[in-house]
Amino acid sequence: MSVETTQTTKETIRNFILDSINISGLNDDDNLFESGIVNSLFAVQLMTFLEKTFNIEVTMDDLSMENFESVNATSLFVERKQNHQQ
Amino acid sequence: MISLLTNEQKKRYEEFKEFIKAYVEPYAAKWDYNQEMPDDFLSLLGSRGYLGSNIPVEFGGKGWDFVTFGLLNEAVGRGISSLTDLLTIQAMVSSSLLKWGSSEQKGKWLKPLAKGEIIGAFSLTEPNVGSAIQSLETKINKRGDKYILNGRKKWTSYGQKAGLFLVFGKDEDKSVACLLSKDTPGLQISPIKNMMGFRAAHMAQLKFNDIEIPESDIVGKPGFALSHVASIGLHYGRISTSCSALGLLRACFEESVIYSSQRKIGSKFVGDEGMIRTLIARMGTDLHAGSLLCYSACKAEDEHTPDVYEKVQMAKYFTSKAVVKAASDAVQIQGANGCHESSNVARYYRDSKIMEIIEGTTQIHERMLGKTFVEKAARLIKEKK
Repeated sequence: MSVETTQTTKETIRNFILDSINISGLNDDDNLFESGIVNSLFAVQLMTFLEKTFNIEVTMDDLSMENFESVNATSLFVERKQNHQQ
Repeated sequence: MISLLTNEQKKRYEEFKEFIKAYVEPYAAKWDYNQEMPDDFLSLLGSRGYLGSNIPVEFGGKGWDFVTFGLLNEAVGRGISSLTDLLTIQAMVSSSLLKWGSSEQKGKWLKPLAKGEIIGAFSLTEPNVGSAIQSLETKINKRGDKYILNGRKKWTSYGQKAGLFLVFGKDEDKSVACLLSKDTPGLQISPIKNMMGFRAAHMAQLKFNDIEIPESDIVGKPGFALSHVASIGLHYGRISTSCSALGLLRACFEESVIYSSQRKIGSKFVGDEGMIRTLIARMGTDLHAGSLLCYSACKAEDEHTPDVYEKVQMAKYFTSKAVVKAASDAVQIQGANGCHESSNVARYYRDSKIMEIIEGTTQIHERMLGKTFVEKAARLIKEKK
């Protein structure tokens, strides 16, 4: 995965999060779930967004907070899934 | 809304309505009175694939799109709400398994669920825990390579008939979901009779006494049972319930216009009265608005867009509130005739209130949607600055 693609993935994910929750800013390593700014509804919204946007499927094996805790973690997860599906 | 459907969807909707007219409407009052849905009818329902309409063909289901699933729920909702409750829970359990089940769990359970050979019950609500699901008291504690299930569940739809239970509990601070077969030692099922509405929905309470659960029967992963497994199940439950409430709303509307055009007060028909026309105008408009909200929600599910959760919540919130008002007005239009047990609208009145309580109360929906809308507004204001 190129640096450019990684940046695009991060930006797409960051924009979705900023569009979905009312926060002023978001660093790529900010932990979304520990901070309490998101709820379980957001968790499934994010999952649906990732599946639709990046054409991946989130399954039971992917259920780990480490995969979704931050923009960076989610971006890496998406790229792993895409590489795995190729 | 009909104009938005494909020819295939229209054809299936006609098929569903004909089925309900022939096999449900003539018996609905009796089933409601007896508080029971006959086994031979449930077998017929299963054989037509109506209990697995949303399950992919590869798992024995019909693999229909969610607009068609919504149409099925609407048609059944016109007949009897106790039956749509079955479609609701079957979809909640099968969708949870489809999304979060292991290959082994899907292989074992989805086909019998799709064929209606077993009924799946969604066991979330407890005697002391309703909307605040984070406070579940049922324990599913890990002991070595197994889990031990203890606790109680209440208001479990079709609990008396279910062959499989999807049970939610906690292991310390982690939420856990597990599958439980009805013949498991330590599981006690007690019927709940005399509900106000959904009287033929075989409601039950469950008691779990030191039941051993193998790790292979855990659904999803510990820690994600409420945030992901229950959320998905409830989401599909809301799609079903919103369309079921819409069907009941259509029943109220159709009964009211027929009664109003036939019943006379002196020399005038009931429908000639302006006050009655006001009630019917509101009912008909709510029916149309509700059908568009339900279509939009089901379409979003088919297109798998992230805003589907919000759209489904709006559909459920609107149709469940509208049907309570419509059922009340339908009784009002019929006067004393509508207050007797033999009247369809009396049953609609009792069933309608349940719609506002199941799969998230009206107040829970107001909290969720209110938060969504306020946050959206706050973002718009920020963008303008």
